[in-house]
Amino acid sequence: MTTPAIQTEDLVRDFGPVRALDHLTLVVPAGIVFGFLGPNGAGKTTAIRAFLGLVEPTGGLVRVLGFDIRRESDRIRERSGALLEHHGLYERLTAEQNLDLAGRIWRMPRPQRRARTRELLEQFGLWDRRAEPAGHWSRGMKQKLAVARAVYHRPPLVFLDEPTAGLDPVASAALRDDLASLAVGQGVTVFLTTHNLVEAERLCALVGVIRRGRLVAMGPPGSLLQENSAIVRISGSGLDEPTAQGALSLPGVIAAALDRGELVVRLAPGATSAALVAMLVQRGVGVEEVRRERRTLEEAFLELVGEDSAGARSPSGGAMPGDGRAG
Amino acid sequence: MLADTLTVAWKEWREFRDQLFRMKRGGLSALIVVLMLGIFTPLQMGTTWLTSPLMLAYWPLLSSGMVSTLIADAFAGERERHTLETLLSTRLPDSAILAGKILAAVLYGVLFTFANIVVGFLTLTLSRLGEPFVGPSPSHLMYVVVLVVLACTTLSGVGIFISLRAATVRQAQQTLGIIMMVLFIGPFLFIQFLAPDDRVSLATRFATMGTARLVGWASAILLLASAVLVSLARARFRRGKLTLD
Repeated sequence: MTTPAIQTEDLVRDFGPVRALDHLTLVVPAGIVFGFLGPNGAGKTTAIRAFLGLVEPTGGLVRVLGFDIRRESDRIRERSGALLEHHGLYERLTAEQNLDLAGRIWRMPRPQRRARTRELLEQFGLWDRRAEPAGHWSRGMKQKLAVARAVYHRPPLVFLDEPTAGLDPVASAALRDDLASLAVGQGVTVFLTTHNLVEAERLCALVGVIRRGRLVAMGPPGSLLQENSAIVRISGSGLDEPTAQGALSLPGVIAAALDRGELVVRLAPGATSAALVAMLVQRGVGVEEVRRERRTLEEAFLELVGEDSAGARSPSGGAMPGDGRAG
Repeated sequence: MLADTLTVAWKEWREFRDQLFRMKRGGLSALIVVLMLGIFTPLQMGTTWLTSPLMLAYWPLLSSGMVSTLIADAFAGERERHTLETLLSTRLPDSAILAGKILAAVLYGVLFTFANIVVGFLTLTLSRLGEPFVGPSPSHLMYVVVLVVLACTTLSGVGIFISLRAATVRQAQQTLGIIMMVLFIGPFLFIQFLAPDDRVSLATRFATMGTARLVGWASAILLLASAVLVSLARARFRRGKLTLD
């Protein structure tokens, strides 16, 4: 059996009275892109710091690449690359010198350093400005350079804390492709935190959602979508408020409301729309179309982290039509 | 360990060199100090500037003063510029990071001193054209090298120790400034409190000791202080505690 890239058991980290990581138990298999999602202050960055031995855990067990973070954190750092909360570039040094420094740190011979520096700067479209101090660059360019530095020595594990923050959509898409090819082509494990849920959905084989230091969900993005409630939109003739109220009495219906002549129903996880359609037909509704809306990871995420508060939003995530939330 | 130390020193030096050539902040002030001390002081003092035993106290004080402008930045500056965490997330061992930063600072102090000496020597030679050549003796030069290296290492030890926990460069500089004041003025204050007889006795003892013995004692004290301070800094260097929020 392959050793997981990261394995935590009841990881706890307190900062005074604040518990940043609260019995976090997590297994990240090797060779995948893992997305760590969570609102600000959820504990994502603290988790990365703990995995790299930059903060000492208050309690719990953590093994990264098979090494214990308390006793063997130097071996973990030797085998990993990181882009942390800040890009961490030396702004007085040029782009070339920043990457050369990474090569020196990982004891790469000079010819290899020169080749790798050129390869990465060209790949990220930074070669022409290699002689400029990094401090003169835009935030997006710095971010690209920082990603290049993190993968410079081809580590088996890369931590990326919000890697596409500050990048334009084209650069973000290119970086996503690069990260995907790292995992697929080179077997690198990428542990990335992001607020960009579209990115997580497209890129990650597995996502974990953290809230107040606790893991609240984990699985492939698709399974997280299925685990959560679904939205069904029904159009047809004879749809009215009493029909919406009637729908609410059915098992598995969480919320129902009329929206521009359509009946919008939120179903509980695992519930189907068959009983709902049967009820509508029985009431004499001329059902024309039943559409099950694909929920985005963002909606699932908001539901998981509890920001989709009851009473404030419609079944589809927007404001309830007519100020009346049924359910 | 040595290769890693040199890597850190290379990085520090690159950053500093860039600053020096761009004539910003410390770089420009270092150049002004070299020109001031390398031209005006030798012209004022004449050849004693090169040969006087008193200069054996002057150079270590001057070089360690210059080191103090750099060393406060060692960790506090990296913390302020958000590069410390990234540096700590690399494979570099703790001792190499510490030693590399000390090495860069000591090199700076030594190079600054010798840049001064070279400029001063040229100034004196040019101002005394046609007169017999006067230069420092090899033993005098050796004493300067030993004392400057040890003084810079000691000051680096203090600076690193403070910088490791300081949140900002300013905070580190303020604390270091107070410590330097105590170190530099403290001995003179101590002498003021001695009885006149004790003062005379102390002065006689120093005068009869001979330069070599005096340098030997001073070196031993500085060596001990460096060892203690670097060990304390090493003990304070804990990755899990260095990334202050």
